[in-house]
Order: sequence, then structure tokens, then C-alpha cells
Amino acid sequence: MEQTLFEKYGGFSAISRIVLSLYDRFLDDDDIGPFFDDVELPKLIDHQTKFISAIMGGPATFSDTHIERAHVHLIINDLHFDKLKELVDETLTEFSIAREDIETVLAAFEERRPLIVRTANVD
Amino acid sequence: MSIEAINEQLLRAIGVGVALVDLETLALRFKNDTFVEWFGEEDPAAKLGDLFPALDIEALTSAINDGGRHTTEASFKLRRRTMTVAMEFNRAINASEKIVVLVCQNITRIKELESMIDSYSMMVERNTLEIKREKEQVEKLLLNMMPRAAYEEYKSSGIVAPRVFDPVSVLTLNFVGFDKLQSEHDPGVIVSELNDIYSAFDRIGEQFGCERIRTNGDSYIAVSGMPDPMADHAFAVANAAVRFLRYLGQRNASHPIKWEARIGIATGSVIGSVVGVQKYIYDVFGPAVTKALELRWSAAPMTITADETTVELLDGRFEINASEPALHDEENPQQILSLSERKEPALKSQF
Repeated sequence: MEQTLFEKYGGFSAISRIVLSLYDRFLDDDDIGPFFDDVELPKLIDHQTKFISAIMGGPATFSDTHIERAHVHLIINDLHFDKLKELVDETLTEFSIAREDIETVLAAFEERRPLIVRTANVD
Repeated sequence: MSIEAINEQLLRAIGVGVALVDLETLALRFKNDTFVEWFGEEDPAAKLGDLFPALDIEALTSAINDGGRHTTEASFKLRRRTMTVAMEFNRAINASEKIVVLVCQNITRIKELESMIDSYSMMVERNTLEIKREKEQVEKLLLNMMPRAAYEEYKSSGIVAPRVFDPVSVLTLNFVGFDKLQSEHDPGVIVSELNDIYSAFDRIGEQFGCERIRTNGDSYIAVSGMPDPMADHAFAVANAAVRFLRYLGQRNASHPIKWEARIGIATGSVIGSVVGVQKYIYDVFGPAVTKALELRWSAAPMTITADETTVELLDGRFEINASEPALHDEENPQQILSLSERKEPALKSQF
């Protein structure tokens, strides 16, 4: 059986550090942070743990419908999304994730861009 | 710098929020830098209850009066982060004033980790449940294909070694005019009827100690005496055989499609083994199966034929009639015996 990124980088103990670090970056970022202003901590952590685990092939299923529903009330534009990807890239690099694996994760994010980004005239 | 000054500097600089609270007025007499960073200092007159609206002042006062100590937790937003602190109030030793020392430990990370572990353990639990369910499905499927003993062997070593089982008794059955029935009826109806009949055979077989090995279209094969040896295997298949016919007779009386079976039973040895690597199947074959299949061809509709070995083992518990040797076996003629229920109850029944 092919090894998932989740297994390759040490399972939950390693992934949890990545998630917490991402969480810090998202909250501290002035572009993205405001989106999390009214989100309760357990919910936010829950989403991020599941999403990162799922994207890296861990024991989580995070459906596109779920993602869409979680972001439907937010006006997120391409710049926000680009910034988020930048932060993900930075975090994964800091955790010594191989370049090609980072690209895989970023591609998984990119795939979901249409679910999250809403252009102004669509509103 | 005096010791007091050093102490105060240390107290101000540590990553723990410290404040002195006047228990009479609930005013904050001193706040260190961390405390100020967390809870602000805009209003020097702010009371404890202003900073911590959720704090139960009454419980605090009574705990301090009783044991001099009170602990609780408080959550607040610092920028956009939900912070959680563990608060500990301790009465200061001061006879003239009621002062308590409030120490706030930042347990935000612990709370975040707790949330993460909750989330993760829920995922793992759900996954474990799914895996368990899938495993049960696979087990059920494999147990349909092979006896439990073979399955256990397969599970522990990945292979099932071929085994000879001797003696066992084999029952084979098929239906007269099956091709005609198929052409006359919808395939769905035929499958549903067969399903119904085979399920009934399985139940009857189980009741008498026979287990179905396989079906192939209208061919149904069951065996008794394997994987665990059984003393009266011949009696088990003979009993099952007569009840199969009795069941079909009753069924035919009330159903539009008439199923007429012929049955051959024989005793001898068989080999049980998993055959195939990718598409594996637990197969049972050998002299007893071959002989039972041959005998089946000699049986007239709704009758049972048996070999001599089986009949000897039955020891008069069934009605036996000799019939002509089978024509297709001229080189090695063998006595074909027709078997049916005795009118009087069997004497040695152990069932």
C-alpha cells in the first residue's frame, strides 16, 4: 500500500504541530485573520485538523460540500486565498516537508479554490 | 539594585499574569506586565468583576474565607485569539488587609491541543468503526466461502493447506429440466426461486449436520463430516436428502413453478483446499464428490440414489431398493441403490 504524506511525516504527532503552527499564522495574519474573528476555537481547530489530515491522507474525510458550507458566509477573494496558500507553503517549509509534497498539498488547496473564493459580482 | 527591586522586576517580567486583589473592594492593587498585556490597564479603577464578568465573586470570597484558596478558569479574546487562563487566588498573609494574590497561567495551548485531540480522536473512532464494519463484512464473505477452521488458518498464515477428510458423506442435487425452466421464465424469477430453495436446503442441512460446499446453477453440493469429523455423517446426508425432497414436494404443491430434484449421495474421502491466488475459492473435491455426482445422474426425478458404503452405514434406518447399475459405468459396474424414508420411525436416530 502506498504511504500517505500523513504517515510519511510521522502521523498525528507531527501533523498536530503543523496544524497548530498554521493556526497561529492564520490568526496573526492581518489579511486572513479577520475571517476567524467570530469563529469558536474548538470549531476552528476541528476544521483545520480534519482538513490538513484529509489532505495529507490521514484518517479524515472532509467533503467538498463541507468546505463549501463552512465558507459560504464569507467574502473571500483570490488575494486572500493566495495569502493562505503562502502561509501554508511557509509553514510546511518550516517543518521540513519535501518540496514536491508541499506542491501536492498546495495543489489540493488550489483544487478547492472555486469552493471558497467568491468574486464580487457573484454575491 | 535591592533584592526587593529585583523581585519586583522578575515578577513583572515573568510569563504568568500576577495581580493583587483587595478582597474588600475587589480593586486591583498591582498588575504585572503579563497581566496588563492580557487584560489591559486602560481603567486603573477597574474591579475584578469588570475584568472577569463570568467570575463568581461570591464563590471566590467564600472559598478564600474558608481555605484561603480558589481556582477557576477564564476565557477572553486577545486580538482574535481565544485565550484561556487558569486562575489561582491565594490569600496573602496580611493581618490588617484582606489581600489575595491572583496568578493566571496561560493554558491556551493546552485548550487548543485538547480541542485538537478531541477532533482527532473522533475521526479515529469513526475510522475504527468503519474498519471494524468492513472487517466484519469481509469475514462474513469469507465464511460463506470456506469453513471457519479454514478461515482461521487463512487469517493466521495467509494460506490454507489442502487437507484430506475421510470418511465424509457427500450430497449432490440438481433439477430435472432446468434448461427448460430457464427458457420459460424470467431470469430474475429463476434466481429468486433458487435463492429461496437453496436457503431452505441450507437450513435443513444445518439442522442435520451438513454444510453446503457450493452451488453452480442448479447444482447443489453439501457435505457432512468436515471440517470436523462427525460420527454419523451418512445418516446426516440421508436425512437431509429425504427432507430436501419432502420440502420440494410441499413447495411444488403451492407454487406455480415445479422444481423436481434428483439426489446422489456417496461416502468416501474428499480434499478441502483453497484454490486460486487472486480469485480464490475454498473447494472440496475427490472420490466421494465424483461418486455422488455420478449417482445423481442415475436418480429418477424426486428420488435419491446412494452408494453401497453409505447404505451400509445407514444400517437399515432408511428404505433401500436395488436398481439397475448405471449404463455409463459398464466397465466398473456398481450397485446403485435407491433410498427413501422408512414408513416406521428410524430406530437408531441420534438426532
